[in-house]
Amino acid sequence: MKRPIVALNLIMLLLFSIPVYAGPPLDAVQSNVNKVLEVLRDPALKANVAMAKEIKKEKLRLIYERMFDDVELSKRALAKNWNSLNVAQRQEFVLLFRQVLEKAYVDKILAYTDEKIVFDRETMVSGTQAEVQTKIVTASKEIPISYRVLLKDGAWKVYDVVIENVSLVLNYRTQFNDILAKNTPEQLLEILRKKVKGQ
Amino acid sequence: MKAFSFPVLLFVFFATGCAHSPDPAVSLAPPVAPPQIQHVLVVSDPVQVPPKPPEVPVKSETKNVDDYGDIEVLEKASEEARPQIADPLEPFNRAMYHFNDKLYFWLFKPVAQGYQKVVPEVARIGVSNFFTNLGFPVRFVNSLLQADFSGATTEVGRFLLNTLCGMGGLFDPASHEEINLAKQEKDLGQTLGSYGLGQGLFIIWPILGPSSPRDTVGMVGDLFLHPLTYLNNPWYAGTAAKGYRKVNDASFKIGDYESLKEAAIDPYVAIRDAYVQYRMNRVKKATFGK
Repeated sequence: MKRPIVALNLIMLLLFSIPVYAGPPLDAVQSNVNKVLEVLRDPALKANVAMAKEIKKEKLRLIYERMFDDVELSKRALAKNWNSLNVAQRQEFVLLFRQVLEKAYVDKILAYTDEKIVFDRETMVSGTQAEVQTKIVTASKEIPISYRVLLKDGAWKVYDVVIENVSLVLNYRTQFNDILAKNTPEQLLEILRKKVKGQ
Repeated sequence: MKAFSFPVLLFVFFATGCAHSPDPAVSLAPPVAPPQIQHVLVVSDPVQVPPKPPEVPVKSETKNVDDYGDIEVLEKASEEARPQIADPLEPFNRAMYHFNDKLYFWLFKPVAQGYQKVVPEVARIGVSNFFTNLGFPVRFVNSLLQADFSGATTEVGRFLLNTLCGMGGLFDPASHEEINLAKQEKDLGQTLGSYGLGQGLFIIWPILGPSSPRDTVGMVGDLFLHPLTYLNNPWYAGTAAKGYRKVNDASFKIGDYESLKEAAIDPYVAIRDAYVQYRMNRVKKATFGK
């Protein structure tokens, strides 16, 4: 008598645990994050420390390009200041800003040690904008991370990352605003060049 | 000797704690919380962008054709809605920032690192849970002050369960998935914010870190609700316990402040902004629910 009930429960469980419908924004983020995890977990890249690190970084760069919208990120970080840069400066800014971000975060990402990443849900902000909520779960804490994504040319691309309620883009915007209030765009680029080069 | 080192640790850790995770609250924004930030700079969403005359001559190319073209000036309105804080004390604040920065690298960090090496993670998590459980009155009272009755109920449930079944709070069974009584992040600065009180201006306190007049009042008010404040025999017992708690918490976050600093172009401005954003979101949650 008991068995059938157990079986029924199991069936119910299976039926109802079919993944909740997740829309394209979440799928896009998730597949990119999974690619990142694949690189990080790749056993072939565990040996030969120095080399492996460079190879991983190179692979991560490729994923970054597919996952993020570089130009959009820069535009939003500069906001109204974008217009006071000329086109050449804008192009250099995008490259520099990307390197700043890489320098700041790549080691954090490479330090990943099998923490659990949970994809919570997505919230559509408009037809072409959405926010995908995820969290990193470790033994001692949960870190909420949201990706803000934009539909451009048929692909959902990240233009902002919100970590513990702090938007990366807004945080940089405040800094760039502050710097550009006292400096010229050229000086800002110089500051970024120095930042990228070394200390 | 011990008697003195604990209060010192406390201070140190207050500072660190604040440095890495901007705690307290904000919002210059009027009670009506700022509209969704996502919209702030909608460059390519024609629907919500009322056509405005661009300030700068817009290039003839459309955005999709030339990504590097000018952006239309939509930020005007949104720029005002975006979290900002007055900073008339900037010279003082910057000095305090450097002071706290040195304090962290020379004192708090080495201490927390040593502690982290000696004490296993399980034990540190237990300690962290214990102190969190002890802070129940702060979260409970603030839930009530925010008229968040389900939050208050959750807190009571958590406190009873964790105290009785979690070995006096060392474990946190209430947070397990099946029970799912999540900790309510409530503090008085946030409560005041939800009443419509703005941050006023930015202050960095030595040792205590980023704050504002509102959050400072909140911090002091919350002290009265915290059991450790009444632990005063000997007189330094409460301070010592708080200092220890800070060290313990910091042992989980070594490196956070460093990465924040490394990522920033101007770390002082980055921290100010992170603090403002973080507190504003706390207030928004208290005002509008999750």
